[in-house]
Amino acid sequence: MNRRFVPWISLLLLWSLLPMLWQLISSLSTAEALVDGSIPFLKRWTLVHYQELWASDPPFWRYLLNSAVVSGLTTLITLVLAIPAAYGLARLPQQLRQLLRWITAGAALFPYVLLFLALLELARRFSLGNNLIALAMPYAGLAMPLALLLLTSAFEGLPRELEDAARLEGLSLWQRLRWVLVPLLAPATASTAILVFLFAWNEYPIALTWLSRDDLLTLPVAMARIAGSSIYSIPYGAYAAATVLGSIPLLLLVLICQRQIVSGLTNGAIKG
Amino acid sequence: MLHLNGLGKRFGDQWILRDLNLQVREGECVALLGPSGCGKSTALRLIAGLERQDEGSIELDGARLDTIPAERRRIAMVFQSYALFPHLSVRENLNLGLKIRGVAPTQRQQRINSVLDTVRLKEMADRRPQQLSGGQRQRVALARALLRDPRVYLLDEPMSNLDAQLRDELRPELRQLILQGSQPVVYVTHDQQEAMALANRIAVLKGGRIEQIGTPEELYKTPASCFVASFIGRPQINLLNVDQQLTIGIRPEDLHFDVDGMPCRLISREWQGASQLLLLDSPRGALRMLCSGDAALGESLSVSWPTRAEHRFDASSGRRLAG
Repeated sequence: MNRRFVPWISLLLLWSLLPMLWQLISSLSTAEALVDGSIPFLKRWTLVHYQELWASDPPFWRYLLNSAVVSGLTTLITLVLAIPAAYGLARLPQQLRQLLRWITAGAALFPYVLLFLALLELARRFSLGNNLIALAMPYAGLAMPLALLLLTSAFEGLPRELEDAARLEGLSLWQRLRWVLVPLLAPATASTAILVFLFAWNEYPIALTWLSRDDLLTLPVAMARIAGSSIYSIPYGAYAAATVLGSIPLLLLVLICQRQIVSGLTNGAIKG
Repeated sequence: MLHLNGLGKRFGDQWILRDLNLQVREGECVALLGPSGCGKSTALRLIAGLERQDEGSIELDGARLDTIPAERRRIAMVFQSYALFPHLSVRENLNLGLKIRGVAPTQRQQRINSVLDTVRLKEMADRRPQQLSGGQRQRVALARALLRDPRVYLLDEPMSNLDAQLRDELRPELRQLILQGSQPVVYVTHDQQEAMALANRIAVLKGGRIEQIGTPEELYKTPASCFVASFIGRPQINLLNVDQQLTIGIRPEDLHFDVDGMPCRLISREWQGASQLLLLDSPRGALRMLCSGDAALGESLSVSWPTRAEHRFDASSGRRLAG
């Protein structure tokens, strides 16, 4: 790495990490310390915000669990559908593939917020409200175009002769996917999975309209409730604590998959 | 016996292979030789079943082959890029196909070990393909082909990615392992030297059609066209236009010094040890000439050739003229 880049990289890191550090510090500060700079350094700290979150009804871990269920299910459904679809797309003739790619890109770029009224109508009509498994369906549908784009180009990046060789070895289509193609796509699949998970984890408008029961809320909705829980003050401390807790599962996920993600991001940049 | 009957393949309106008729007997190796884009790899992919022909048929031992899907054709193919599975070790690469085809675990181990012995890669069994040299990778690919226990071997430029020395090392191995078996072998290459060295017969392809088919000797001695003449034999044959109708070809090795011959000027020479290649400027155009490495060369040279060494071609069509 060139030495000239060090200051720039430090600046970028500061830029992106400082808000997170700010949240961490806020979540550990007493309510008084947050608005009063004169309180001595050692007296600023407290765990009370975390205790409050845990003691609330329903307890905060319930939201984490709800979000984890919805996001996990969304990721699973998306991948199970997108991997075979991407394989099929990658094997289509060039012109048709290009057309479908444009349509998919259009769908991926479409501002999904515009759909939420229609989706709400669907939820009413088919009684899908207050059901975490049902909520994963629109999520999977909305995440599908992006997953499809990423996985299709990953399939296109695999040398064609690998599949030819597997075919002549006697592997059927599903066996080729299972033993050759999917293992080779692990990096791309991991980075796609993270992006889909992240989308479902952060999604707000649909969750807001589909869920009303307290014990079924997902994290973004629950956090918005905390922020708006009092009309007289903003509970900065509790809000910050919720933010910190809400980002821990994502950090863990990224740490677990980091090797695959990095090789997935640089996929195509370097021919292996 | 492998029979290709009038095989043709097109992409859109463009025929990339047309009217391919070829028979390959048991234990015979036929090379498909030609420049890139002549359709030779397509022919191989049709035999393997990786693509479907637009006309003609393929038969093996009297039964239709082209109606069987590629997965069940029992055909082994060795690719130029080796096509080893990068996420599997050498042993797992060899194991995968056997497992899918339902070979019992103990028998699998035994067969893999014995084939690894054959290709001298026992110590490399647990390495990934990326950790092997090009020659080793291609030997793994050969081992995989052997384990397929195929009815036909297809080799698609198997040595083109290797340097000259490795090719010389792998060639005897290839001959011993695959070409001496009882199966028909189709060998695709653009390297005439390789085709001459390994194949029993060579089919020269041009623009999707067979230009000539015959033993290496037949192709060298009686090329059917200017194209074949200049494709077979190195250094390349000299083609001289006599008049509007006639082109004659003289191989560089058939030229000799002759005081009564055609006066020439030496432009350059490549000394190769036992022989040397001379580039001469003659009244009839540039000539390549091969002579002994210790021949003393003067300022001006005179060369001629025996009339029986002349290959006579029709100047417009390039076809060989009788006699």
